[in-house]
Amino acid sequence: MTEIRARKESASRAARIDAVFAALADPTRRAIIERLSRGEARVTEVAEPFHMSLNAVSKHIRVLEASGVIERQRKGRDHILSINTSSLDEADGWIERMRCYWEERLDAMERLLRELNKDRKLGPKDRKKDRKHGSR
Amino acid sequence: MVRDDTTGPIVQIRRRVKARAEQIFDLWTQPDLMARWMSPYPGAVDCKASCDLRPGGAFSLVMSSGESSRVVSGSYVEIDRPRKLVFTWMGPLTNNVNTLVTVELNPRGDETDLVLTHERLPTQAIHEGHTRGWAHILDHLAAAISNDV
Repeated sequence: MTEIRARKESASRAARIDAVFAALADPTRRAIIERLSRGEARVTEVAEPFHMSLNAVSKHIRVLEASGVIERQRKGRDHILSINTSSLDEADGWIERMRCYWEERLDAMERLLRELNKDRKLGPKDRKKDRKHGSR
Repeated sequence: MVRDDTTGPIVQIRRRVKARAEQIFDLWTQPDLMARWMSPYPGAVDCKASCDLRPGGAFSLVMSSGESSRVVSGSYVEIDRPRKLVFTWMGPLTNNVNTLVTVELNPRGDETDLVLTHERLPTQAIHEGHTRGWAHILDHLAAAISNDV
């Protein structure tokens, strides 16, 4: 049972990160996030620099809210938007983990290439460096 | 390139590799060679690879060390030796959600420019929860790609 619960949690976490990435895939939404990274702001303030209707900007804001990237608070008649940094940290962690993984894999791939090709192409100094990765 | 079913490129790595594209392509697609570099667990680990190299064909890497074992699996989407390989990919690192990996190999004389792109495929929740925003996201995906999110 705990395994099923763990799997559900992992799935909802994955869906959450997906929603964040989908939200970040749009330049207007990235610009909104950039604006809010300098401090919270009213919806109208956020919309101001964009050459589009308030309605169009509001749609972007709703996507960002749904993904959990930004939050809305009502203060009287004003709607104040702010960034929820933890959601971005989660996405950032995923990117960093994957980048690190592939950099390491490609290092290993290049080591194997050197090992496979050392007799054909490479000089003695490469040969010595590759000895520890001898074939199994 | 814009695909209509991803949440955008997440990781992109470029490298100039001192080998011919054909040889690099084989490293990615021949089980005995895959087993020699794809496992992220150095030493002690027994890595077994298998693959059915055709579009829609499956591959898997089973890495075992002592009692624990990890499986990375996926299926081939596009196979164009030696220029391009596209496959789906899931494993512990992706929280067992499906992702998409594209490996492009551009020959530069005796060397090769390798471009690896790793994207997330949207889970069902995105389709259900963001159907309206979705079409708009896709319109801008090309811009997102050039900005290297």
